[in-house]
Amino acid sequence: MISVWHYLAVAAVLFALGLIGFLTRRNLITMFLSAELMLQGVVLNLLAFSRFHANLSGQAFALFVVTVAACEAGIAMALFIVLYRRNKSLDASVWQSNREAGVPSSVDTDALPTVAAEGADDPKLQPAGAKPQEPARV
Amino acid sequence: MSLFAAMQTGNPLGQLATAVVLGALAIYWLLPRPRGRSIAIGTFAAIASTVVLVSWVVRRFGDPAPDLVGNILFWLFSAGAVGFGTIFVCQRNPGRGAIAFAFVILSVCGLFLLLAAPFLMAATIVIYAGAIIVTFLFVLMLSHADGPTDENDRTREPMLGSLAGFAFLGLVLFALYQSSPAAASDTNNLEYALPARPVSGEERAVLLEIAEQLGEVTKLQDKDAILEKTKLMRDRIAEIVGVPPTSVDAVAVPSKRKSIPDRLALLTDPRSIATKTLGEEIRQMNVKAFNALENNLLSKANPSATDIQKSTEALPALREKLIYLAGRGELPARNVANIGYVLYSEYLLAIEMAGTILLVATIGTVAIATRKRVSA
Amino acid sequence: MSDPDLALLALAFPLGAVFLVALLAALRCGKYAHLPTIGGFAMSAAVSVVMLVNLLTSPEAHPAIHTEPITWFSAGLLNVSFTLTVDPLSAIMLTTVTFIATWIAIFSASYMHHDEGYARYFGIMSLFVFFMCLLVLANNFLVLLAGWEGVGLCSYLLVGYYYAKPSAAAAARKAFLVTRLGDVGFVLGIFVLWRVGGYHTDMTLLFEHIKNVPPSSGTMVAACLLLFCGAVGKSAQLPLYVWLPDAMEGPTPVSALIHAATMVTAGVYLLARCAPLFVLAPSVQMIVCVTGGLTAFLAAFIALTQTDLKRVLAYSTVSQLGFMFMALGTSGVVTPSLAVTAAIFHLFTHAFFKALLFLGSGSVMHAMGNVIDMRKFGGLRRVMPITHITFLCGCAALAGLPIFAGFWSKDQILDVLDHAGHHALRYQMVYFTVFALSLLTAGMTAYYTFRAYFLTFWGETTIPPEAGHHAHESPRGMTIPLIVLAIGAVFAGLAVEPLTHGFSGFLARTPGLHTANEAYAKRTNLAPTEHPHLNLTIAAAGTGVSLLGIAVAFVLFRSGKLAEVPAPLRPLHAMSQNKMYVDEVYYGAVVKPAELLANGSRQFDGFLDSLARLVSFLPRLMAAALRPLQNGLVQFYALGMILGLAVFVSFVVFKVSR
Repeated sequence: MISVWHYLAVAAVLFALGLIGFLTRRNLITMFLSAELMLQGVVLNLLAFSRFHANLSGQAFALFVVTVAACEAGIAMALFIVLYRRNKSLDASVWQSNREAGVPSSVDTDALPTVAAEGADDPKLQPAGAKPQEPARV
Repeated sequence: MSLFAAMQTGNPLGQLATAVVLGALAIYWLLPRPRGRSIAIGTFAAIASTVVLVSWVVRRFGDPAPDLVGNILFWLFSAGAVGFGTIFVCQRNPGRGAIAFAFVILSVCGLFLLLAAPFLMAATIVIYAGAIIVTFLFVLMLSHADGPTDENDRTREPMLGSLAGFAFLGLVLFALYQSSPAAASDTNNLEYALPARPVSGEERAVLLEIAEQLGEVTKLQDKDAILEKTKLMRDRIAEIVGVPPTSVDAVAVPSKRKSIPDRLALLTDPRSIATKTLGEEIRQMNVKAFNALENNLLSKANPSATDIQKSTEALPALREKLIYLAGRGELPARNVANIGYVLYSEYLLAIEMAGTILLVATIGTVAIATRKRVSA
Repeated sequence: MSDPDLALLALAFPLGAVFLVALLAALRCGKYAHLPTIGGFAMSAAVSVVMLVNLLTSPEAHPAIHTEPITWFSAGLLNVSFTLTVDPLSAIMLTTVTFIATWIAIFSASYMHHDEGYARYFGIMSLFVFFMCLLVLANNFLVLLAGWEGVGLCSYLLVGYYYAKPSAAAAARKAFLVTRLGDVGFVLGIFVLWRVGGYHTDMTLLFEHIKNVPPSSGTMVAACLLLFCGAVGKSAQLPLYVWLPDAMEGPTPVSALIHAATMVTAGVYLLARCAPLFVLAPSVQMIVCVTGGLTAFLAAFIALTQTDLKRVLAYSTVSQLGFMFMALGTSGVVTPSLAVTAAIFHLFTHAFFKALLFLGSGSVMHAMGNVIDMRKFGGLRRVMPITHITFLCGCAALAGLPIFAGFWSKDQILDVLDHAGHHALRYQMVYFTVFALSLLTAGMTAYYTFRAYFLTFWGETTIPPEAGHHAHESPRGMTIPLIVLAIGAVFAGLAVEPLTHGFSGFLARTPGLHTANEAYAKRTNLAPTEHPHLNLTIAAAGTGVSLLGIAVAFVLFRSGKLAEVPAPLRPLHAMSQNKMYVDEVYYGAVVKPAELLANGSRQFDGFLDSLARLVSFLPRLMAAALRPLQNGLVQFYALGMILGLAVFVSFVVFKVSR
């Protein structure tokens, strides 16, 4: 019949998930959202303790956390835009030039699966007024 | 819950370790990458890990709420948060990942509500699901991802990453395990109970006031002062917790309301039983302590120091019990108003700073993202 | 001007010439460099003549002028002061050196005309004369050592004058290193003398102390032997003579000055100076004598078949130095002053005729376009008459024909040897053998000298193609010094000794020799003989062997061409021509092991280097192991942080929070 531990456990799981997402995913946006997930775990923790101590300090702190998260999101988005402009990619692994001299860059060895271009078998429409050359497909 | 609680076999630490390892493997198999990803096995491992973890939590910490509705809500929202979180982390498509994240936020906000923080729930939903997700989707327009790409379909260090994360999780849970008492077996432990005990606010205030006075009394040495202070204490305490049935004052004390043990006499949940037992215990102690006080002080004309000491020696224990019964109290019902009050009285400086940070962040965002014009 | 100041002046003039030459070279007026040099040498010669006259006319029995001692350095018991002394021995030596140097400098001005390093040549020559004067005038062993090393340095610089030529550079190195070997012994000898001589380094004080407190005979033998080592190196005696023939790579006036008249005589001068010490070690005297005799014979043997004119003269120098040492070696058996007089008199006359011969060969080289191989030219008496006549004078003096200077000095040497051979108390047979050897050597000397003369100047006139338009008599700048030295070669001996005994009388007044005479008298209980006397038998014997040698040379070489070597003499001829294979033996016995040791040391050093590199390798290895952690990927860094945090938290959770 003890309840604060449950919330703490859930918060810990959320934090761990966010951590793994941040460490493993390469898309900048996914990485950032994982950081936000970590923040959610922390806020849950704060609120559990606030309830436990019958105190509003935890909730006030959580409010500040959310505020700062918002600021962080804004700046992170701006940075992503700038980075995207540089390399036309949202991949975090593109930025590895700050490595030690003599360390080779990490390259991906597995080939990505190729997907047939979408719309390869979409019907092609002729410009208006011209007779279609292929039989129209349903 | 009983199903999970029935999984009592095994060493609790072993259960935790199993849950952690299974969870790490699950995430490892679920993370998107060109080769080695197996959604089926990963899902299966995730479910297994969840089951073990939940059983461990229940076994160690008991039920999250005393009532069924509370339980269901808690597990629902928790499952939603964790499940959608896993989906988000392992989702190949970032757009779908963002949607999953939105659902995570919703679930977590449900948990916020259960924790008596409705303002934060609303604020979080507004800020995250409203503003941030919209912004993310806006940036996602930039990626033009058709088909598999490096950033979406590859993972940096899947094994090490998931192991690190779950090792961290295991450590935190172990720390929780260390610092929590064996809650499920201790039905009398009211320390960490989270909906509060059925002690009203007034009663709590009275109890805390009496406890404070008791604290002062134990320091006094003068017979008259002691008597002065403790004049009405016995009765006031007896008002709240009642009198022992065998006491002579059983009938004499009128009560405006039922005493705590009487109120809880018919409830069967462990928390109520524990509170009732505590109230009865205080009754007994109340009588004994003040009897002892009167005996030692009033029987003799000039009581010696040892007499005075003996008279007040039972009072500290009574005081502890009173504080215990008073408990931590409740969060105020008018959450928004009280948050506002707290923010503008205790955390005024922090408010100002948060505002300044927001301003600076806005300016910074604009400054960073502006395309620099190349000077001609 | 007082005499001590004159002594300092005699040093100052050549040193000033050095600076003036350097200044001229810096001002790009190097072609005038001969002026300060000749002027400095001439002034120094004038000063030394003045001092000589002062000493001659001095009323003291044993005149010696000392300059004020200036402390050079002192550390504990070692106190070294800079003092100069002018006594008859050093005055004679100084005059000889500066006089010959002046005429050689005048010759060099014409010989080295149009040469690139004109100023360098005169600068170093001036420096050399300065050091030589310092050596001669020094009254302190360490000051003498300074002069000793200084002349070695200048010899190196001048032999290696044509430094771009590898053989010249090698010859310079060889000269320096071989004399260095001797110098080791010399320095050790100085240390031994300092130890037993009451911790004095000043010669007068040292000799005084040893006279009063004679050390043990073993110590004396050791000290004298070590000093003799130095003399062996510097004066090119067996076994350290091998540098002198190679030193002919330098310009011919250098050979004349350094390797005939001055530097190589430093060893003889040293032993003459230390006569009071050597008297106390008769066994060392015997070794000195034997060494001189063997050297003289060996060098003469090698000179019999050489085809390079300068080589012949070089071996002749070695041989004549051997004669001087033979005379010095009899010092304790005959009166020390007599023995030293013989040696120094021979040094004096040898300076004249050897310098003359070298300058003559330089004149020939100049005319023949730097060809000096006697097989390539001939009959030059018709082409270069003045050179011819002066060269003939020098040859006659070297051969020891009567009246010429060499006759008188060689006769004195043979005389003391004969006396020692008959009257020595110990080692009598040794001295007698050496005497016989010296007679034989005298004959060989005459033979090879006139062989060289005939091959060069007799026969049909052959001019090598390198001569070009030079094949004529040398200019006056060269012939005038030749004439002056020829006059000296003819008359120098006659003038100073036979009729007046002026030389020997003057030299015997040297305080050091006087001390040696006293020691000799004490040891042998014989009265010291004042003057040498002319032993007609010896003189006749000497003249006879010389004439015999000249006759053989005339018969064989009067056609100016090399004669056919008869079959039985072929092995000996081969040995002589190949310099007795001494250089090859040295190479195998000394140079090769030294090279092996050097290579071994270099390998060991390389091994130590690799050890040091190993020490430096370990941090680099660790760095290389840690470097891949910095791969530029942000997520990798974050992973590292999390893993570290996990370790830390696990520590806290498991250890601390119990």
